[in-house]
Amino acid sequence: MRGIDAASVYVPRARLSTDEIVEAWGHSTAAGVETKAVPAADEDAITMAIAAGARLFEDCDVDRSALDRLAIASTTPPVAEGDFASRVVRALGLPRSVGQSVHTNHTAAAAEAIDAALHASGRVLVLATDCPRGDPAESDHPLGAGAAALLIDDDAVIAVRDGTWYADESPGIRFRTDDAIDSLGITTYERNAMSTALSQAVSALNKGDETIDAAAIHQPNGSLPYRLARSLPIDNAAVSAGLVADRIGDAGAATVPIGLLAALAAATDDAQTVAAFFGGGTAAAFACEVADAQRSIDVAGLSDLDTGVSISYTHYLRRRDHLKGREVGGGGANVSLPTWRESLDARYRLIAGKCPECGAVSFPPRGACQSCHARVEFESVPANRTGKIVALATIGQGGAPPEFARYQQRDGAYGAAIVELPAGDGSIRLPGQLTDADLEHASVGDRVTASIRRIYEQEGVPRYGVKFVPDGNGEEIA
Amino acid sequence: MNEAYIIGAGQSPFGSYPDETYLSLFETAFDSALESAPAAFSPDAIDEAYLGTLGVGGRQIGLSAPAVTEHVGLHGIPTTRVENACAASGFALRQAVTAVRSGMVDIALAGGYEVMTDTSSDHTRWWLGVSGETEWERMSGTTFAGVYAQMASAHIGAYDTTIEDLSRVAVKNHANGAKNPKAHLGFECTLEDAMNAPSVADPLNLYHCCPTTDGASAVLVASEDAARELGETSMRVAGAGASSGRVGLFQRETLTGIPASIRAGEAAYEEAGIGPEEIDLAEVHDCFAIAELLAYEDLGFCERGEAATLLREGVTDPDGDLPTNTSGGLKSKGHPIGATGTGQVVELFEQFHGTASVQIDDLQYALAHNVGGSGGGTTVHIFEREEVSA
Repeated sequence: MRGIDAASVYVPRARLSTDEIVEAWGHSTAAGVETKAVPAADEDAITMAIAAGARLFEDCDVDRSALDRLAIASTTPPVAEGDFASRVVRALGLPRSVGQSVHTNHTAAAAEAIDAALHASGRVLVLATDCPRGDPAESDHPLGAGAAALLIDDDAVIAVRDGTWYADESPGIRFRTDDAIDSLGITTYERNAMSTALSQAVSALNKGDETIDAAAIHQPNGSLPYRLARSLPIDNAAVSAGLVADRIGDAGAATVPIGLLAALAAATDDAQTVAAFFGGGTAAAFACEVADAQRSIDVAGLSDLDTGVSISYTHYLRRRDHLKGREVGGGGANVSLPTWRESLDARYRLIAGKCPECGAVSFPPRGACQSCHARVEFESVPANRTGKIVALATIGQGGAPPEFARYQQRDGAYGAAIVELPAGDGSIRLPGQLTDADLEHASVGDRVTASIRRIYEQEGVPRYGVKFVPDGNGEEIA
Repeated sequence: MNEAYIIGAGQSPFGSYPDETYLSLFETAFDSALESAPAAFSPDAIDEAYLGTLGVGGRQIGLSAPAVTEHVGLHGIPTTRVENACAASGFALRQAVTAVRSGMVDIALAGGYEVMTDTSSDHTRWWLGVSGETEWERMSGTTFAGVYAQMASAHIGAYDTTIEDLSRVAVKNHANGAKNPKAHLGFECTLEDAMNAPSVADPLNLYHCCPTTDGASAVLVASEDAARELGETSMRVAGAGASSGRVGLFQRETLTGIPASIRAGEAAYEEAGIGPEEIDLAEVHDCFAIAELLAYEDLGFCERGEAATLLREGVTDPDGDLPTNTSGGLKSKGHPIGATGTGQVVELFEQFHGTASVQIDDLQYALAHNVGGSGGGTTVHIFEREEVSA
């Protein structure tokens, strides 16, 4: 049966405690949310999707070249119109011929993506990724971030029964005409509409009245799913098994998929696990059960849910661009977009060039060999994604080039390193920014791992490439 | 090969002169160079000019060098603008020396100019990193301070070099520059000042970085015949070395030295027929404090990793065996990018003529070391004193 054969989760490192929001505003709308995940200033739906996808390929040993389709779900594509799935394809090194679909517009977008994957043939990568923003005084309080990657295939470890759907026009619950999520706050109307849609979808799924052992239910905060479950044959323990909004907040279209994976990872072999989505007036439900007890689903990255570092509310406001600094003029460095695009394999996948004459490896793989200086046709070799810092500067206020000034305003001083990575029989060096780093503890010799992040934006077009995350960043929240 | 001699050298004051233009600054430098030349010298004798500038601010991106020579009345002479970032006028001097040595011209003008302080801070930030490797190095969020800070971190990691040593470079060069009436930051600083300054690109703080400066400099290069006719043969170009390197620090074989400086130095020593131990005085490219320490090692003033010791022992102080940056260096005298290389020669010319503000006696050989960017190109010129024939 078709279903989930491998999966991973990615949650940004920083956490904001709801206590900080209460201290700032005197109250919070983030019921049941203890902490929420906060994307770094260089993270967005694209980078989180890439991070989750990369984990799937690296930690779950999934062959990226054998993918047939990519289905991405997000309510927050970084551009309202423009390159989204194609960027993920390039950054993850997926076949260029991979079929693609993007599902957006509401928090049940991932249900559409999973449904499309179940109805397709072959191996489909579903990426649910989201980092919604709201009005800082109210709707923003519970909004978090995260991403999930699911490999949908035949004869999967987890069988997923076809989705059941229910749609009814019920506007005003959650909508967005600009950058910030809004709600009319007609409490009873909203709750009734969600309950009705979810119970219709779940009851259609659950014809045999089987016990539902765990459920990831639509969770715009940490307490609503318990309330919604009252009209469903799902008890509190089952809701709890699929709840993640309490720790990462409402990660939009990614919340239920992440909750589902958390529940599946903890489920027993005969357990019945349900994912129940709601968004834009539509509810959808999927039932999952272990199809092959000989194999277990090992969800990579789940430890992200319970680790991270706390940030202050003011840092949060800067990071998420609620506190805006002045745009720094002066212009960016002129790396033309065609030139940038030419270098994508190097920027995303660290493709270096081995010299056929002397064997040394050059990066970027262009021009004469950096070792013997011969003009050669390089043989492509990917550098290792983990290496060490060999030189490090910390760029403080005012020291950043104009194109990085906004980034620095949002996230503070950053590390600019030269990193050495093994490649072929030798090694390469490249300059890269440190990200998710504790700069006071970073130094020459530290181990770092590549991460694809937003580098900068020029003329309205964001550009992505490699940065480096120092090892040892999975701290427990104090 | 013909010999080349420096028969005149002058500079504008270095500093912040927002009311000046690159034309007016160069005019001041040119007049100063003419004043330093023998009385019999006429600017009509100048055959050709090579002028260095990066063109910070983009005020006259094309043809600024002919605009300059026409402005000072050198009407019609061939003029070439040389752009090798901070080594622009070091390379301009090299072109002038080459033109004279080849016999193509009798008198060549080398010089440079830069206006840096009249633009907005945003605009200045943009220009400060334009000579780094753009596609990767700058895209990792660095300007030059960041790249030199990376070199400092690598040197501190590899050797017994400390942040205090970086500060000592500032203290020494400010002590010299405080005596130089044409220095941009002509004041003394204490080690405490230089340790406690605000961070620019850690490990470099404000006192480990040179300022952005307005200024111009001009040097007159003459053939042996022309020099003898003018009776001015005190400063012979004994060695002219230059080399290029990868523009990006990350692409070089070492992070704790500048390979182009090593090669340029070797070429200059070979041509001069001397070794570093015979150098009596040096002006080295201390755009950042770490750069002066790297220069000591790259130019063979000491062994690799021993620069801090050389500095701490006072060898490069004015009363040491190898006084370095008696002008104040880029740190205190200032760094008007295109004017810096020939500006160093102005200091050495004054030293050879006994008119320097921090005068060193008994000079035989003096060296000027000018680095473009973080090491994409370096020139090293060695000058030898010859007694003036009456």
